[in-house]
Amino acid sequence: MAMGETRSPNMSPRPQDGRTRRSDSDDAGGQEADATGLPVVGPGRVAVLSGDPGSGVTRLGLVMLAEHAGRGVVSYLDVRGWLNPLAAWEAGIDPDRLVIARCRDAVRWGRATAALLDGSSAVFAEIPDGVKDAQIRKLAALARNRRTVLLLRPLSRTVPAGIAHLTLDAYETTWSGAEGGHGRIGRRTTRFRASGKAMRGMTRTIEMEDDGSHALRLVSGMAAPETGRALG
Amino acid sequence: MNAAAAREGIRRGMRRGEAEGICPRVASIERDRSAEMIAFESVVAAVEGLIPRVEIVEPGLIFVPVAGAVAYYGGEAALVERVVKEIDRVAGDGFRVGLADGPFAAKHAAEAASGVPPVLIVEDNAAFLAALDISAVGREEVVATLRWLGISTLGELARLPGSAVASRFGPVGADAHRIASGRDRAPNPREVPIDSTVVERFSPPLRDLDHAAFVARAMAGRLISTLASIGAAPFRIVVEAEAADGTVRSRTWRSADPLDDRAIAERVRWQLRAWVDGVGAGIRGGLVALRIEPADLSGTGRQLALGEDSHAAAETHRALTEAQAIVGADGLLQAHPQGGREPGEQVAWHRWGEEPIVRRDPEAPWPGRVPGPSPALVPPDRRPFHVEWDGGMPVRVRLGTRWVEVRSWAGPWRRIGRWWRGENPRDQYQIVTSAGAFLCEVDDGGTWLVGIYD
Repeated sequence: MAMGETRSPNMSPRPQDGRTRRSDSDDAGGQEADATGLPVVGPGRVAVLSGDPGSGVTRLGLVMLAEHAGRGVVSYLDVRGWLNPLAAWEAGIDPDRLVIARCRDAVRWGRATAALLDGSSAVFAEIPDGVKDAQIRKLAALARNRRTVLLLRPLSRTVPAGIAHLTLDAYETTWSGAEGGHGRIGRRTTRFRASGKAMRGMTRTIEMEDDGSHALRLVSGMAAPETGRALG
Repeated sequence: MNAAAAREGIRRGMRRGEAEGICPRVASIERDRSAEMIAFESVVAAVEGLIPRVEIVEPGLIFVPVAGAVAYYGGEAALVERVVKEIDRVAGDGFRVGLADGPFAAKHAAEAASGVPPVLIVEDNAAFLAALDISAVGREEVVATLRWLGISTLGELARLPGSAVASRFGPVGADAHRIASGRDRAPNPREVPIDSTVVERFSPPLRDLDHAAFVARAMAGRLISTLASIGAAPFRIVVEAEAADGTVRSRTWRSADPLDDRAIAERVRWQLRAWVDGVGAGIRGGLVALRIEPADLSGTGRQLALGEDSHAAAETHRALTEAQAIVGADGLLQAHPQGGREPGEQVAWHRWGEEPIVRRDPEAPWPGRVPGPSPALVPPDRRPFHVEWDGGMPVRVRLGTRWVEVRSWAGPWRRIGRWWRGENPRDQYQIVTSAGAFLCEVDDGGTWLVGIYD
């Protein structure tokens, strides 16, 4: 997303301005990123969203789900049982289109996610403890096969390498509106490290603004070289 | 609403506050169709004892074809007298009986019945229907326009040419004209495919009603999918349950509109609960077989909307049913908005596949409601939250094992709570740290986490 432009973060293909390019290695699902580093998570793609509770990852995931709610039911696999559907409705998901599955057990989690991938246009799944890498790889393959968007939110583990089309790691959040007991929180700015195939191999920092309305606003797409080990 | 409430002057559709103004002792309870069906089961059984082929429309309303019974009991008046006597014996007052040509007229005759006992036997069907208000057609989308055109009774509508009404209002208008003309819907006489009946056998017998209802939902989905493949939908179903002691019980449910999978599952659940908890022997030893048989198939109602993908809808239903089987009936949920002040109160949860029950009006003003944006994560019960305070201001919060500085905060907002229910007053704060923002409450017992702005 370009500096100062208002766009949705899940970044549906926008070929009209000529900035969206398709790489040579693209497969049927389409691997797209615009010139400013805007990643695309289309049908059959897997995205990994990580960050501390409070960093805005759930909200980002819900906005990404909302983009696919027009195509059918979207599902949220709620391992903790904490999801507040109010936030989903604020993100633009119709209550009739949102199904929430609760499952803590690692074995049943895989089967439940697979079933949801079969019947939903997009699935946002929190990953509980005890889930094996092979299980996640199978689900990613199933998502590709069913052309369902799969958003993974690891709660306490990492996702195996190579499956995510896009990885967004929230590392800094600031809120405005509340100060010294006055006002109330209103606008959030979150910085994410974005990497994966959608970013064409580069790690970039993107900053998103969220005022609680239907869409997030990406205010910058800054290239940020990864910090290497330094000896001083 | 019971008879005592009616005697106090309370009427259907009255607002709760209005009813409490008339009668402060009135108790308002949430509508529970299963409980209604349990109570109604005795009436169904009593009428069934007199006349076979009773058809249930909903808890509180049954239709009975009486052609044979009128001859058997020696006339309409004698038959109605027997029916009234039986219902009075099992249910007491509060019922109404109507006898007319066809279900639509009979239902309105029952609604119009007054006197002691409240019975209305319609002699002239056409004249009775002609006098009914236009709202009786039940198609809100055409009723307002018809009134605006000066048509206020069914008779006036029936006198219009059917083709003109259909041309002006489409299928809904044609339906309204048919009803006004006293013609009940005639389902297409389509043959019911032999393999469309769905049967499930259980070994060991099912004893848990919730489990049985859960199975019924999957069966209903299968039934509708099978019928959808031939472009049909049922207006009537027969629910049959076999108990471990060999007893087989059966009931017929009908509907004015095609039954969908949700409606069928609901009716099976009501019926099973009525058999288990209502009058009669129950289902002794548990349920060994459940059977749902469709009848009165029709293509009506199966016309797909432009863009509707029946295959995708069926696939979604199948997949979600499977997911529900994996995570359990209470593990697959949907939610709808309802009124309330706290984030958790504003959500009406229900199991996927069941009807939402919204207890509080979301459109009503809720002063003091936690303002948006809403916290994306809300724990089911508030959790202890470690906050370090300095002079009434939050300084640090503990997240897991680390302490994080508070960057900014807002509050306190005083929540008085429902003191008459023993709720203590508390103060709410929004606390912002470098790791995120939190909604918390402070009361005499400490500080509690009630939401995370994730």
